[in-house]
Amino acid sequence: MSALMKSLSLVKKLSAVNPALQAHIVRNLAGWNKDYKPGPYPKTEKEREAAAKKYYLLPEEYKPYADDGLGYGDYPKVGGGLGVEHKDNYYPYDYPEIKRNFNEPISVDHDLYSEDRYSQPDYPRYSKSYYMLCFAGVMGGCLALYYWLEDKKMYRPVAAKQYPADGVKHYTFER
Amino acid sequence: MGNALNHYLKPDVTPGPDVVPSFDPMLGFASRKERVMIATEEEMVSAKLTPKERDYCAHKLLAYRGCRAEKFPFVYQCAHEKHDYLTCEYEDYVLRMKEFERERRLLERQKRLDKQG
Repeated sequence: MSALMKSLSLVKKLSAVNPALQAHIVRNLAGWNKDYKPGPYPKTEKEREAAAKKYYLLPEEYKPYADDGLGYGDYPKVGGGLGVEHKDNYYPYDYPEIKRNFNEPISVDHDLYSEDRYSQPDYPRYSKSYYMLCFAGVMGGCLALYYWLEDKKMYRPVAAKQYPADGVKHYTFER
Repeated sequence: MGNALNHYLKPDVTPGPDVVPSFDPMLGFASRKERVMIATEEEMVSAKLTPKERDYCAHKLLAYRGCRAEKFPFVYQCAHEKHDYLTCEYEDYVLRMKEFERERRLLERQKRLDKQG
């Protein structure tokens, strides 16, 4: 009981420091929340400006997806760029683990561009022919070994097992 | 496994895997004891022995299986039957090793004789 009271007082202290925290925790407990859903497609100029402000973008930067039934409402079209992997490692991000600043708009396909996923690659270290040569060398080497050792099996030095059958005589080594 | 290397270096005098002896089994022997199959076909069929198990130790396997069926769940009482069967299989394997070595030596002897003409 005392542990429960202690954790309750901890929650009280935390919510006194940051009142938004409690709302945030409660909102995150739900698997889906209407607050995360983008609004309807902006039609008037006023709506556009309101939507741009909502996503912390300048009105001239704000560009929603086309409203053709496959769009994302008023969610802005921001590309994945070169992928999170190519963002600067040493910039002091607000969320360094995902290399994102506070309220920085993220792409609809953000899950595709996260650091363990797709990124527009740098120039490869070696030329394409070198990679091809390495591939052919390893595969060819393996295949050559395989075909060369095809008839050179490891086996135990024993004769075939003897099974009794009609017309077959087997002998021991005793007299 | 020097035999695998020898099979590559001296393929003419090294028998391959699971070789069936090609020489006369009585060559070099005055008399040689014949192996006897004790378990009968009917016994092996009724005990549903797999083809692999129908070797010269089948009667000991039958004794062991019968003991297990009789003594279950106190199967530790069949330790002697099990040991008997496994020893028989071991000796069968040793016989196979001897047959391989005999084949190898006879091949070498044949080669030597052929060279002499």
